[in-house]
Amino acid sequence: MMDAIENSAYAIWVRESPSIFAYTSILSLHAIGLAIIVGINYLVALRLLGFVPGIPLPALRKLFPWMYLGFTINLFSGASLLAANLTNDLGNWLFICKLVFILFAMINLELTKIHVFDRPGTVGADGLPKNAKAFAWAAFILWGLAMVAGRFTAYPNFVEAWLGF
Amino acid sequence: MMTLPIGDFVATHDWVWPVCETLHFFAMCTIIGTVGTVDLRVLGFLKGIPIQMLEKFIPLGVIAFVVNVTTGFIFIAGNPVGGPMEYLTNLSLQLKMLLVVIAGVNLLLFYVTGIHRTLETVPADGDASGRAKVVAAVSLFAWIMVIVMGRFIMYNDTLLYALGL
Repeated sequence: MMDAIENSAYAIWVRESPSIFAYTSILSLHAIGLAIIVGINYLVALRLLGFVPGIPLPALRKLFPWMYLGFTINLFSGASLLAANLTNDLGNWLFICKLVFILFAMINLELTKIHVFDRPGTVGADGLPKNAKAFAWAAFILWGLAMVAGRFTAYPNFVEAWLGF
Repeated sequence: MMTLPIGDFVATHDWVWPVCETLHFFAMCTIIGTVGTVDLRVLGFLKGIPIQMLEKFIPLGVIAFVVNVTTGFIFIAGNPVGGPMEYLTNLSLQLKMLLVVIAGVNLLLFYVTGIHRTLETVPADGDASGRAKVVAAVSLFAWIMVIVMGRFIMYNDTLLYALGL
């Protein structure tokens, strides 16, 4: 099954085509999607930590579709890059860590949407639901870990040497 | 081949390169999350968020830009393999630098020509001036293409092939 995916016409095109629309552009899309979802989630998190209180929460809620746009771009670009390099990626424990952190970051994003924006519980003196700050810190930490693991996916040997594996 | 002292440091400390890459990605997200979000709002998306409040995040974007100029300098000056000239002669990097200059001049014009003052009176759900929208469109295009050209640096042959060079 892994071979079938890796040797599919699409995976071969992504990996080997000299076309400007193949590997490098898909990699570029992946960086753009990353910047959109993480950049905007960090902005939302800063607001939830109390910065720039002049931004009303219902208006801030309008940023969610843009985060989903970033995530969708990266779901498709990421699946394409994964298909092109399936055996190597799945054999890389840092890549698996990255996927787990992304999963938790997205769950955190959904919980933020529900519990801070759509059905807020008790609101504190600062006008924010009392769990807003916890969701904000979780966003910083989970996306941070996902990005560190993602970048170091290219350097598993370094990491293993540093950790003394 | 010319190498600089910083190149020796990078070559003998294997953590420098991946750590700088990770910082470069964090700051990229921060630039898009701050400047990119202001651009979207000025273009007419995200109505309900006061433009003046979003603009308070711009200094954070400037800090992120300084982080990326610094880490970018380390990549070029500290290139342990081919030295600075390997990058400086890379068409993708040259285009990326051109786009950064375009984004910078665009921002300078935004302040010098007084366009930024037209935003001070825009209501939370109001429209920015046409001139401000042009500046925002140029900014968004330039920063997205900075990301794309940044990704092409390592795959410069793909760009040269597409351009028939």
